[in-house]
Amino acid sequence: MASTGTLADRRSAPPTPSARRARRPVALLTVSYLVAAILALPLVFLLIEARGAGASPVAHLVFRALTASLLWNTVRLTVVVTAACAVIGTLAAWCVERTDLPGRRALAVLVVVPLAIPDFVVSFGWNSLWTWAQGFPGAFIVMTLAVYPLVYLPVAASLRSADPGQEEVARALGSGRVRTFVRITLGQAKGAIAGGCLLVALVLLAEYGAFEILGYQTFTTEIFNELNSYSFAASCALSLVLVLLSMLVLAADGLVRSRGRVARSGPLTQRVTPPQQLGRARWPVLALFIALVLLALGVPVGAAIYWIVDGLPPVLSGGANVSLLDAAGHTAAYSGAAAALATVMAFPVAMLAIRHSGRMRRLLERSTYLVLGMPGVVIAFALSYFTERYAAGFGYGTSMLLIACYAIMFFPLALVGVKASLARAPVSLDEVARSLGQRRLAVLGRVTLRLAGPGLVAAFCLVFLSAVTELTATLLLIPTGTQTLATQFWAYETNLSYSQAAPFALVMIIVAAVPSIVLGRFFNRTAQAPG
Amino acid sequence: MRDVEVTGLYKAFGAHQVLAGVDLEVPAGSLTAILGPSGSGKTTLLRLMAGFERADAGTIRIGHTVVDGPGVHVAPERRRIGYVPQEGSLFPHLTVQANVGFGLPARQRRGGGRAESLLEMVGLGGLGQRYPHQLSGGQQQRVALARALAIEPAVVLLDEPFASLDAHLRASVRADVQEIFRRAGTTAILVTHDQDEALSTADRVAALRDGKIAQYGSPEELYARPADADLASFIGDANLLEGVLSGGVVKTRLGLLPLDGAALVPAGQVMVLIRPEQIELEPGQDGVPGRVTAYRYHGHDAVLNVQPDDDAAGQQVTVRVVGGPALPPGSPVTLRVRGPVLAWPRGCP
Repeated sequence: MASTGTLADRRSAPPTPSARRARRPVALLTVSYLVAAILALPLVFLLIEARGAGASPVAHLVFRALTASLLWNTVRLTVVVTAACAVIGTLAAWCVERTDLPGRRALAVLVVVPLAIPDFVVSFGWNSLWTWAQGFPGAFIVMTLAVYPLVYLPVAASLRSADPGQEEVARALGSGRVRTFVRITLGQAKGAIAGGCLLVALVLLAEYGAFEILGYQTFTTEIFNELNSYSFAASCALSLVLVLLSMLVLAADGLVRSRGRVARSGPLTQRVTPPQQLGRARWPVLALFIALVLLALGVPVGAAIYWIVDGLPPVLSGGANVSLLDAAGHTAAYSGAAAALATVMAFPVAMLAIRHSGRMRRLLERSTYLVLGMPGVVIAFALSYFTERYAAGFGYGTSMLLIACYAIMFFPLALVGVKASLARAPVSLDEVARSLGQRRLAVLGRVTLRLAGPGLVAAFCLVFLSAVTELTATLLLIPTGTQTLATQFWAYETNLSYSQAAPFALVMIIVAAVPSIVLGRFFNRTAQAPG
Repeated sequence: MRDVEVTGLYKAFGAHQVLAGVDLEVPAGSLTAILGPSGSGKTTLLRLMAGFERADAGTIRIGHTVVDGPGVHVAPERRRIGYVPQEGSLFPHLTVQANVGFGLPARQRRGGGRAESLLEMVGLGGLGQRYPHQLSGGQQQRVALARALAIEPAVVLLDEPFASLDAHLRASVRADVQEIFRRAGTTAILVTHDQDEALSTADRVAALRDGKIAQYGSPEELYARPADADLASFIGDANLLEGVLSGGVVKTRLGLLPLDGAALVPAGQVMVLIRPEQIELEPGQDGVPGRVTAYRYHGHDAVLNVQPDDDAAGQQVTVRVVGGPALPPGSPVTLRVRGPVLAWPRGCP
C-alpha cells in the first residue's frame, strides 16, 4: 500500500518557468502604468519645453552668476534647516514617546499641529510682527518651526513600533543612558530620521511663499520672478537645476536607506515598558517644549488674531474683495476633488506595491520619485506652459488643470496613506475569502475595502490638507476670476493689508488643523494595532 | 468528500525550483499530513491545491475535476476548498459568527443558525458575537476551521494549523480537529514541519524533500520503514551506524545484529538504523560497555548519550529509556540492541 520511493519513472523533464504563468493582474498593471505615465507628464513637458527653448540658450541661462548665488542660498538653508529639524524632531519624539515628560499626551498633539499651518502663514506671522525676521536668519527660524514635525512624526511612529526592550537589554549590558540613546534608540529611528529629513529638504527646495515674504531668494522665488516677466526660457533653465537638486536629495536618501533596516524581534504584542525617568531635567525639558509650541504655533496664530483685532472694525476696501466664504468654498472644492483623484490614482499602484512584489513594484515606486523630485512650482509651470503652448490651450486656465496638478503633486502622499491602509488588509485574508467561494470583486468589497477604509480616508485627508495650504502651484494655475483662501490671503498680504489677510490665514489654519488631528489619531491607532 | 490526485507537479519562483515533480494521491475521507522541513515547498504545494498559485507543469485533480493542468486553472473560489491558513487569518472587522458565515449565501448568513451550529461543533458555542481579537489563539484556530467547514468543502487544507499554539494547547486542539474531521468525514490535507504532529494526527504521511515526495505511507510505515537513512533521521530520533552486512547479519559497533527480513539490501558496506528505544541498558550483561555522557530527563522517559568504551572518540549512541534509575554522566552502562534493524547500502543514501 505504501508507495515507497519517488515514483521516478513517471517524472517528466522539468519545465521552463515560462511554461505556464500565474495569471498576471493585467487590469491592475494597465491602470498602474497609466498612473505612472501621468506622473511622468510634468517632467516630460519640462524637457519638451527646454528643447523648445533651445539647448544653448538654456545652457547659457544655467551657467551664470545668478545660478551660483541661488544655489548657495538654497543649499545652505536646506542643509541648516534640515539639520535643525532632525535634532528638534528626534529629541522631541524621544521625549514624548519614551520618557515620563509631564503632559506628553497633550504635547504629542500640540507639537504636530504646526505642520497644518502653511509655511507662508508662519512667515507672515513672524514678518508682520517683527521686521527683523527676514533674510537668512528669518528663513531659518520660520522654516525650522514650520517643518520640524516632518521629522517628529515618522520618528515618533518608529519609536512607538520599535521594541523598547532593546533599550532595556542595552542598559542591562552595561551601556549608559546616553550611549543607549545613541547606539540603540537612534539606530532604531535611523530610517525614520532619514525619511523625515528627505521630506524637509524637498519642502525647502519647493517653498515659495515663505521666502517671498521674508525676501530670501532661492530657485523657486526666482522661477516665479522669471515667469512674471514672461521669460520662459529662464524659468525652464532654473527649473531644470531645481529638479536636478531634488533628484540629488532623493538619491542621497536612497543611499542611506539601502543600508540595513530596523527589525523588530519577537511577537508583535505591545508590552508596556516603563518610560525613562527624566528626573530633575523634566521641568527644563517641559519649558523647552512649551517654548517650541509657543514659537511654532503661538506666533502664527497669535499674529493672525492680533491683525484681526487690529483691523476692527473691518474697513471695506474696494476692488477684489472676495468673501471668505467664497474663497473657502473654492479651496474645499479644489482640494476635495484633488484628494479624491489622488487617492483613486494611488489605489492600483499601492495594490501592486503591497501585493505583487518584484520588478514591477520597484519600477512603479520609482515613478513616484519622478514627482517627489519635482517642486510644485515646476509641475505647475510645466503643466500651464505646456497646455498653453503645445496643447492648443486645451485645459489651460481651467480648474481641471489645477486639480490635476494637485493630484500629481500630492500623489506620493496619497500613496503612502493608501499603502499603509492596504497593509491592514493582508493578502492572506483575500485568499481565505476566495477559498470561501467569493469572487475577486466581492472580496474587494467585503474584505479589502472594509479593512482599508479608515486608511483611505486618512490618505484623502493627507492630500486635502496639503492642497488647502498649497500656494505656489495655486497662484500659477488658479482660473482667472476665482480665489482660494491661499491666493486671496496672498493678494492681501502682498498689498500689506495684514488685517484683511489675517482672517484667511486663521481659516486656513482651522481648516487644515481638523484633518491633521484626524490623521494623527489614525496613525496613532495604526501604530498601536498589532500587525 | 473527494479524493485528490497530484501528478508531476512543478513550481519554481524565479530560479528557485520549489516543487520538482510531486506525485500524491490522497484518498477520500483521509487525513493526510505533508511533512517537510521549512523551505521544502509544503506550503507551496498547499497553495497550488487551493488555487492561489499556478503550477508550472503537472496536474491537480479534486474528485472528478482537474483544477490545475495544461490550459486549465480553476479559480480558488470555484474549487470548494476549505483553507485554514497558518495564523488563522480571521477577518478582524467581522464577528466570529460573521467570520464563520462568510462563505455562505446571503440568505443563510442572515439567520446565523448555521454558523452557530458550526461553532458548537468546534466547541465554541455562544461566542458568535465576539470579535477575533477577543479570542485566544486556540479559539481563533477553531473559528478558522469552522469557517472553512461552513462551505461544506470537498477538501480541507490546513497550513501548519497548530504551529502558533502553545505546546499544551496544541495537543488538545489537534485531537479536537482530528475528531471533527472523523465525524464530518472530510478529506483533509495538513502541512507541518513537526514530525510528532504528522505521526500522531494523520492517517497517512507524505514526506516532502527537495520538491518531491520522498516517502508516502501510514505513520507506522514511515517510522518503522523509512525509505532511506536521511528520512530515518528526519522522522524521529535515529542512530545511524556504519556496518558490514553478510548473510542476513550486520556487524556493527553494537554487535552482530539481525537484518530486518523485509529489507532487500545487497551484502557489503551498509548504514544501519537503530532507534533510541531499540537499545536496552543492561548492566553486567553481554553487550557493549560504555559510559553515559549526557542524561536528559523528560518525565515520561529519559534520553541518554552513551559513548561506547571501545571508541572514545567515535560516534555517541542515543538511548531512550522508560523508568529506571537516574544515570548521571560518567555512569557505566552496557548497550544491547533489541530486535532486527534496518540497513541501506552505504555510499548512496
